[in-house]
Amino acid sequence: MPQTTQTAPAPQAAAPPKPKPPEPPPEFQEGDIATMDAAALIRILTDASSPEFQKAKACQRAGELGPREAVPALSALLSHERLNTYARYGLEPIVDPSADDALRAGLSKLKGNLLIGVINSIGKRRDAKAGPVLAKMIYDADAGVARAAAAALGHIGGLSSMKELQAALVKTKGMTRMAVADASLVCAERLLVEGNRDQALALYASLSAPDVPKPARLAAMHGIIREETSTSRPR
Amino acid sequence: MTTRRQILKTAVAPMIVPSLVLGQQAGAVAPSDKIVFGGIGIGSRGAYDLSKLLNFAQARFVAICDVRNERREEVKSMVDQKYGDRDCRMYDDQYALLARQDIDAVLIATGDRWHTPLAIIAAQHGKDVYCEKPCSMSMEESWALADAFRRYNRIYQAGCQRRNGGNFELCRELLKSGVLGKLETLYADVGPSVNWPPVPSRDWLAAEELPPRQVLDWDRWLGPAPWRPYHSSYVSGGWRNFYDFHGGGILEWGSHTVDLCQWAADLDDTQPVEYEPVGTNVGPYKVLCKYASGVNLVMRDDGWDGSLKTGSCSFRIEGDQGWVETGDATKIECSDNVKPFLRPTTPASLALSNHIEDLLRSIKTRQQPRASAAAAANSHVVCHAAFIAYQRSKKLTWDTAKREFTNDDTANRMRSRALREPWRV
Repeated sequence: MPQTTQTAPAPQAAAPPKPKPPEPPPEFQEGDIATMDAAALIRILTDASSPEFQKAKACQRAGELGPREAVPALSALLSHERLNTYARYGLEPIVDPSADDALRAGLSKLKGNLLIGVINSIGKRRDAKAGPVLAKMIYDADAGVARAAAAALGHIGGLSSMKELQAALVKTKGMTRMAVADASLVCAERLLVEGNRDQALALYASLSAPDVPKPARLAAMHGIIREETSTSRPR
Repeated sequence: MTTRRQILKTAVAPMIVPSLVLGQQAGAVAPSDKIVFGGIGIGSRGAYDLSKLLNFAQARFVAICDVRNERREEVKSMVDQKYGDRDCRMYDDQYALLARQDIDAVLIATGDRWHTPLAIIAAQHGKDVYCEKPCSMSMEESWALADAFRRYNRIYQAGCQRRNGGNFELCRELLKSGVLGKLETLYADVGPSVNWPPVPSRDWLAAEELPPRQVLDWDRWLGPAPWRPYHSSYVSGGWRNFYDFHGGGILEWGSHTVDLCQWAADLDDTQPVEYEPVGTNVGPYKVLCKYASGVNLVMRDDGWDGSLKTGSCSFRIEGDQGWVETGDATKIECSDNVKPFLRPTTPASLALSNHIEDLLRSIKTRQQPRASAAAAANSHVVCHAAFIAYQRSKKLTWDTAKREFTNDDTANRMRSRALREPWRV
């Protein structure tokens, strides 16, 4: 028998009560798409008459299945204002390199937020082949594109990215420099993981310039201290 | 006669930093000593957080950012009324608020989809953060969150306030004391599924006419979530019914109670290695998890305010010699052998104030608070893994070091979600 030890006050409400949801209309119900195989999904994606909703759900389902053969159909939607996110939802988890090729192809075709989305996906997949194009994009007239390119380079990491980011730290200003500094911090961490300690510390050191945004400067200092005082490092 | 030295001897070494030091009680705090806050996306829950924060004289709330005009006005009114001035500034762009050099920390209480991206942006701007739960929409976001706050050496307090609730603390102490014996099973109550099913809908609602941008900025409201047509139900709280905005009952309530289990058992740095779903999407359901140590974690939707009436957000610890259970009703239920070790605790309703006090102390001392980004990331990864197992309807095994499922490629593809452009983590 449970033992009650204290008088219980009224239970505390943990969250606002759930509002009763309206019923989704039939044309916006996922239905069978949730269990479709790759071939059926591709048919939806490539049928010009398929409604936007069905294509969106087919993209998400494709992202779970990860079929290589869906890459062309998904990449065709990267230029769609409303379905770009869904297309990347499908492409990002596909292991096959053709997904990288498709995203990289988008770098030369897209503008604005659609381009930024593709750059973000490339960064997430750490596609080193995109490095040279991204390095140029750090100086793009669209500041959003420039910042996304820097962030992607940071995620890709490696010595090439390090050099590009170090150069960009000097050449960029404002929010773009802030993004470059953040990317440099990410890149330095990747260098450490890969055993390139000297290069990582050099990248941290380059962030100590007075015109680097203060949060990144302090973070770099913190990174140096963390590394230099690491008890796991052989001395 | 009592000497000054004697007074000092009795005054030193308090068990905890008293509230007075952090200015919760009346007393002047120099402006330079105040921790200056801004807020982003303060709705009903956020307003509750804010009402507690405003009681601390050491904190000063100066700015609100929201995509909804009426919310901005409501928060400004609340803050100005409390301070007796008209100084709270309103923003519709988070970057403008975060660019303010005078702001030290931000309270984030938006919808879940914004939690991780905004917290990371805040860290990049050098701000400390209090962020409501669930803290992330995916495993990938959870890891990015922990990485960013470690990288920038910022303080992050997840809104898991029960970690600072007296009755929850006592249960943790009882486990650590050994009176429960060897830990066998942790129970995280994830609410009745009738309220929040484990897997939310992937449908859309019918399109409604979009309000003027100055009333509601739909694009910013959606933020990192995939595009869909506007419907007023989403904005008024109905977003929680939809997968693109929400992680279902497991993430919603697991972020409360799985988090408690991980903390109570000193498992903040790991996750279970097995996840077995049991039940249907209309409940009852369970997810049976097991840590590498052999300890079990059971997420269940039938324990919530069940026969023990421990209230919402309850959790239970079972050892081989005894058990203990508590929830938002404050009372503690336990096996007979544990009874002698019980003592009165503060009401669970005080947990939030304690939790904010923990944050303020951490901001001053630069020591991480109880619900740090790293701890929150791990407890959320547990919830995401369980959520994925439930969607996959199969038992999944998890490699904590490699951060991947070992027996299901589809599950691995579900560890992240694409964010709507231009947002990223």
